[in-house]
Amino acid sequence: MNVVEYNYIIDKLSVQVKSFQEGFSILSGSNTLRELGTNFCHILRGNFFISDVNIFFKNNDSAEWESVLLHNEKCREYLPLLRTSTNLSIDYFSDRDFGIIATLPLTDGSFWGLVIGDKIDKTEITELDKITLQMFLQLLDNAYQSFINQKKEKQLNFSLNHKVVQLNSLIDTGIEISKLHKTSSLLELSLERAAALTNASCGVLQIISGDEIISSIGFPEDSDIKKVFNSENKIETSVEFKELKYLFTLSEKESRNGITDFDQTDRILLTAFARQVLAAIENEHLHNEAIEKERMQQEIEMAATIQKRIIPQKLPKIDGYDVAGINIPSLEIGGDYYDVTKLKDGRFLIIIADVAGKGVASGLLVNTLNASLNAYVENDFKLTDVADRLNKIIFKASTPEKYITGFIAVLDPPTGTIEYLNAGHNPIFYSSNEKLTKLDKGGFAFGMLNFGLPYESSYIKIEPGEKILFYTDGITEAMNEKNEEYSDERLELFFLNNKPAKAETFIKNLITDVKKHTADTPQSDDITALYLIRK
Amino acid sequence: MSPEFNLVTETKDNCIVINTTGYINNIGGQKIVDEFYKHNGNGINNVILNLAGSNVVNSIGISFLIEIIEKLNQSNGNLIFTNLDPSIEKTFTIMGLFQFAKKADNLKDAFKLI
Repeated sequence: MNVVEYNYIIDKLSVQVKSFQEGFSILSGSNTLRELGTNFCHILRGNFFISDVNIFFKNNDSAEWESVLLHNEKCREYLPLLRTSTNLSIDYFSDRDFGIIATLPLTDGSFWGLVIGDKIDKTEITELDKITLQMFLQLLDNAYQSFINQKKEKQLNFSLNHKVVQLNSLIDTGIEISKLHKTSSLLELSLERAAALTNASCGVLQIISGDEIISSIGFPEDSDIKKVFNSENKIETSVEFKELKYLFTLSEKESRNGITDFDQTDRILLTAFARQVLAAIENEHLHNEAIEKERMQQEIEMAATIQKRIIPQKLPKIDGYDVAGINIPSLEIGGDYYDVTKLKDGRFLIIIADVAGKGVASGLLVNTLNASLNAYVENDFKLTDVADRLNKIIFKASTPEKYITGFIAVLDPPTGTIEYLNAGHNPIFYSSNEKLTKLDKGGFAFGMLNFGLPYESSYIKIEPGEKILFYTDGITEAMNEKNEEYSDERLELFFLNNKPAKAETFIKNLITDVKKHTADTPQSDDITALYLIRK
Repeated sequence: MSPEFNLVTETKDNCIVINTTGYINNIGGQKIVDEFYKHNGNGINNVILNLAGSNVVNSIGISFLIEIIEKLNQSNGNLIFTNLDPSIEKTFTIMGLFQFAKKADNLKDAFKLI
């Protein structure tokens, strides 16, 4: 080699080094396989003055060659010459249409194949060209590796971001479905989110009771449900609440390369969604229960208000007498009742009653008693007849465990004569000459029996200065914190030892004494008392 | 509940508006990409993707959208998402789509971004 040739080679190599640097920069910027092949083609054309460059690629040894860049269809005839070995192979032919046949094995088991035609200037391939080509193929190998790494990096980023999306969506869906008050909406939302996050192409949610399918929800909405269940590529999970089974089924997990298998993460996600649904359904159930309870409470409060209106706000004045009463209802609807009413013949009807138990049913019975008595007040009032009729009405209106104990008195004010009847009620206290008499004659409680046994009335005559205390067991059975009752004995003593001039004062003092006994213990029953003094 | 995927395309100047309904999954994503390439081949490189009728997207569907974004970035084109369901908007944000694509509340605003 002379000096001229030597300098030529040096100059050419210098140009080639620059070309290699530019070539690698271009190749490594490729975003797709086709782009990489196209860029490599440009590099070869520029460096070797060859227009007929054909590039092929195959994923593995057994795959078919796929054209990445095809300039001349005839080159396909040379594909059998591409040797897929583990080493770079380049064959040069001087007597064929395509003088360079090269195969570049890649680290991932794939191959580049090159079928290159003659130079444009028809000159021979030089040794320098051969070395340059080898170096460019090395560049292509490196660029491909870089391309694969970038692709893997992108996939990794995508996968990590998708995991964040899955976690985020799981949390968001949990919050969203907890705000929904319609079961069907939360089921639809959770099904579509579960399908989307697991890349399922479709899904079905069935609500099953025993062997019967109550309803089915499909995603997308016009999905073929049978196809979902018959698919070999599916996952499912179920939750149960109140004898209903919610069965989630997702099918056909998608990938860019077609259908793929669901993985463990998909199963965990689906189970998590199903559990969220279960929690939401339970919450919805509790919410509905709370609303129903509140509605019932409102009705009970309304019934209690009506009940209170039955108790007289103000008692009628009775000439020559002083009468006062009180009713302190407990929290529930009470069953205590009292009233003082003037009859057509000038006498006064005095009644105190107590329904067994509390609650709405007891309130209804008190209403029945009140309405029935008011009807009889308008007519001639015969106490035993009224008692018989009341018994029949209450017996008919009540259940076996419900009855009313009551004490009914009819006072003739001018004479002080009192006809009375005790229907299973606490003995009523009558004080005459410092002596306590318990008025307990009459018959069974109203509504307890209906054997036709007649009620019998009795008579007393109340003289000036004498008193009568009507009361319910809410007073005598009022408990203190030690579960001790106020007791009949204490009430008797209070009745005998307290003799204020006014009936109202007696009632106030009595309540004070009862409260003193119960202290902070909550009131468990209605407290009712009526006090009559003949002046 | 999301219906089967469907799309309708409108062309205006150097812009196509792809209106979608239904689940953007493998099928939906492929249809969007096919529609995009059909017009991109004619030189249109501004795309408005109106997702008013789509409220569910999976990661395969997103990968197709990324393909469009990458293609448009090479030609200095624009992809603008509009009428996004809040859950989709959040998903796209986490997936990083808005680093390379824009979003608008409605079609009118989307055209202003081109």
